[in-house]
Amino acid sequence: MALFDPYGDRFGRLLVAVAVLAVLAGVATAGAYAADPSTATPDPVAYDDTVELGISSETDELMAGSARVPGVQVFYSQLQYVVGYNGVESFAATLDDGRTERQFGYPLVVYVETFDGGAPGVTDDGLFEAERSTDWVAADEAAYVVGSAARSPAGETVVPFADRANAERFAAEHGGSVLDWGAVRDRSFSVDSAATVRSMAPARWSEADERVADATAKGRSGDESVGRDTDGDGDDGDERSGGEADEIVVSEDAPTIDAAVAAAPPNGTVVVPAGTYEETVTVNESVTIAGDGARVRGDGNGSVIAVRAPNVTLSGLSIDGVGNRTRDPEAAREAAEEGETWDTNIQLGYGHGDAGVLAVDAPGLLVDDVAVETNASGVLLREGSDAVIRDLRVDGSDDWRDGFMGVTGIESRVTVTDSRFDGGRDGVYLHRADGSVIRNSTFVGNRYGTHLMYTGDALIADNAFRNAEFGGITVMTRPSGNAIVGNDVRDSGAGIQASGTRSYVGYNTLADNGLGFSTSSRGSLYERNVAVENEVGAHATTVVPSSRVVANDFVGNDRHAEAGPGALRIWADGDRGNYWEGANVGLHDPGERAYRPTAPVDAALHRETAAAAVRESPAAALLDRLYGTVPGARSGSIVDPSPASEPYAPERVDAAESDSEPIHPDWRRALGGADPRTEATAEDSTTAEDPTTASTGDTTTSIDTMNARKRDATDETASRETGSQETGSRETGSREPTEGSRRSAGAEARR
Amino acid sequence: MTGPGAVTGPGAVRARAGAVATVFRRELATVLRTPGYGVLAVGLFAILGGTLAVGGGGSTGFVPAVVDLLLVTEVVVPLVAFVVGYRALLTDAGSGELAVIRTYPVGVGGYVAGVVLARALAFLAIVVVPYALIGGIVWATAAPDTGIFATHSGVDSPLLYLRFLGLIGPFGAAYLSVATAVSAVASSRRGAVAIAVLALVAGVLGGDLAILRSLASGTSPSAIPGLLASTPNGAFRGLVFETVVGVTFAPAGGFVDVGRAVGSLLAWIAGGVAVSTATLAYGDRLDVLLEGVRARFVE
Repeated sequence: MALFDPYGDRFGRLLVAVAVLAVLAGVATAGAYAADPSTATPDPVAYDDTVELGISSETDELMAGSARVPGVQVFYSQLQYVVGYNGVESFAATLDDGRTERQFGYPLVVYVETFDGGAPGVTDDGLFEAERSTDWVAADEAAYVVGSAARSPAGETVVPFADRANAERFAAEHGGSVLDWGAVRDRSFSVDSAATVRSMAPARWSEADERVADATAKGRSGDESVGRDTDGDGDDGDERSGGEADEIVVSEDAPTIDAAVAAAPPNGTVVVPAGTYEETVTVNESVTIAGDGARVRGDGNGSVIAVRAPNVTLSGLSIDGVGNRTRDPEAAREAAEEGETWDTNIQLGYGHGDAGVLAVDAPGLLVDDVAVETNASGVLLREGSDAVIRDLRVDGSDDWRDGFMGVTGIESRVTVTDSRFDGGRDGVYLHRADGSVIRNSTFVGNRYGTHLMYTGDALIADNAFRNAEFGGITVMTRPSGNAIVGNDVRDSGAGIQASGTRSYVGYNTLADNGLGFSTSSRGSLYERNVAVENEVGAHATTVVPSSRVVANDFVGNDRHAEAGPGALRIWADGDRGNYWEGANVGLHDPGERAYRPTAPVDAALHRETAAAAVRESPAAALLDRLYGTVPGARSGSIVDPSPASEPYAPERVDAAESDSEPIHPDWRRALGGADPRTEATAEDSTTAEDPTTASTGDTTTSIDTMNARKRDATDETASRETGSQETGSRETGSREPTEGSRRSAGAEARR
Repeated sequence: MTGPGAVTGPGAVRARAGAVATVFRRELATVLRTPGYGVLAVGLFAILGGTLAVGGGGSTGFVPAVVDLLLVTEVVVPLVAFVVGYRALLTDAGSGELAVIRTYPVGVGGYVAGVVLARALAFLAIVVVPYALIGGIVWATAAPDTGIFATHSGVDSPLLYLRFLGLIGPFGAAYLSVATAVSAVASSRRGAVAIAVLALVAGVLGGDLAILRSLASGTSPSAIPGLLASTPNGAFRGLVFETVVGVTFAPAGGFVDVGRAVGSLLAWIAGGVAVSTATLAYGDRLDVLLEGVRARFVE
């Protein structure tokens, strides 16, 4: 007390000290006003350390060659993380969408990767390539070549240069014009988005129908078989099965299947009567092996049927006696000598094991009505074995550690339909298998049901997954353009974990899993999924949010959603949010109050009625206010500003709660792919069609459907035409399918 | 106890300054003998810390921390100001000590200045120390959630928090000044509490309610920056938006009429002191006048 005694001797000195302190504080405060924090200019960082957004840098075409996507790194005023955009156009697209600014603040500094001294050029495929990038340059100091021949895997690309003269040189060589930053940021670019993927999903389904139809009904008159048709039976165009003369019956005309195959004429048919055949078969000709209750039993070593020719059909067979080897050290050595590609390890790890059916360089393979018992792979496709697999039944090991994949597809475009995979490691494992389709199949007791690596533009639709140890559907690495639609995953470690970019995850039903779905894929669209009674409904993973999560239903989960590290995620699209059971409990109109699944009180609303009373407390109301502001700087949470008052898909929610049969909503009509022929073959469209709805849906989404028909159309024609009014076309692109979807929700409700 | 007014000097100015210093010293002694003020500071620190902990903004940076604290500050700082000031001038007047003091060469103005200065110092200590501690905590703990990516601080900076602190000073001083005026006007402790609560509610809510009301009745929205600046809370909030929070938004500004807001805060401070002085100086005559009016009506 002595120190503060106002009547003590030292009081005067103390007073002086306080006065000095006050003056110092005053000066400091004045300094704080004088300095302008918004002019801070951090230096560029290593691009690998940024949080990547924009188009994928891990597409096959980029990883294999010298093609590149120019990077941009952006320091936002409210975001602690440095954001790296792949593609200048990806960043430019965010500048006018408002969402980015609301979440991250405004860009403080923008640096672009320039290529002045990196020997920039264009690959044979039209992609931008460069040996290296030269420097990071402030965006407003660089010169940009726009509209040149150089493209990115997702569409148009902009090539930045530090020196305008270099830009003009590039433009002279490869076309396009040189613009400065102001012009680039105001320009619209035609680049694929998740909405493009959504609009293309029905077309991919139709394309799978065509692939199946081509493989089954018609002959193999495709380009690839013409050259090989050396024996020239003259009319390979129409008749697959050929005449009686082309038929060889095993045990009548030849002792073994293998012998029969060797003896069969090209495009002939080997008929395998019922019975068990203990042998392994090698197919080096384009033949059909048609069994009728026949069982082919291998010797427990190697693969049972090896196909090394195009256009082979295997049908009506049961296969067992497959070897147990899941990889081949011999092949590993060979490949190492040939010179490794970037993914040699995985190719060898997964591509060279034993299988019931092994196909190497066998395009046009059809596996139809085949059952395989195996502790290695069921069907292993490699080196361009674009195959159609229909009604395949793989019975794998009980413990996934003892087995391998039901279908392994490596560098092969695979179409799997109406199949069933029991046990084993992964039901379907695809590696560099762009454009594959997996649909209408059932997966039970795998490690992962469907597992994609470096595989983009795929469709995984209308499958059912049960008891998958790790997860139903997982997409690893960063591919782009995958559509995961209408699947039903239950009782599994996780429902859907898809990473990558521009993914579309919609109309899935996820119940009783550890995790419903994660939002790992960037720049993606997660809509109309139903997460019921999972431990965690959804998990927000990406550190910097860039996806839309909207119109999903969360009911009965222990926790509706969780968030990993990173900025606040806003899960809504404009004024449309998600449905969260419990969000509308309390004294407010439904949808009027923001819902925060990561906040303790909100998270308890659907499980404990009393939480509603806590939520109405002044303290909670105060917190409500606090959370909403400066979103980019908030960490680890999710907010839905306008939660829906009713589930978007009440029928599916009810069905998922009652442990029903797998549910596959009619997403193709909702997404505008209502193609009469497709509908006829679709299994899930058994309900009475409402012609009015269908036709209206078709009309409203005609733009997207047109785009969807041909991917090139999206790139070249449609978007180019609307390029100058991109904003308008983007609006149509997002709104119209939404309306279609709403209608389908209505239709769903009526059912 | 050395009596006030013992200072004698050649110059009148020096005598007046000496009188102020003496009153200041006496008032400071009073404050220091009130342990409740220390508790107040601890309580304030607890409230701020709790808000920050629950709001979560403090773990990411200064601007989110300011956003979390803004609403609480608008209520708590005026409250502290009233607690510190509502009896400042009342006690001496009530106990008759003021009359004794006035027998010494101490003018009313000097007396009020001394009291207000001492109370202001106490108030700053009670408020600024907890806020500064909170700032230190934010500075020490705010970090990105994950270190695997490159990070930067955006526009977030301790300077912005310092600006916030710099605004709390005048904001609180305005309320302290009003509280002192209340203490001068009130004739009893109970009356002082009543008037203080009324003034607090009117200050914290009234001004903004008045703006809302005037907007509802057709005032042009372009008048908002000016209207907002007129109340202490509005001026403070506007300045925080303008100079702290708004910096993270696209550089636009215009949340408040800055000059007017600063002027308004200063005017509130000056006004409060003026009312205090006037009341003490002429209060008795006013009382006589009022008593006369009352008597005429009653009889």
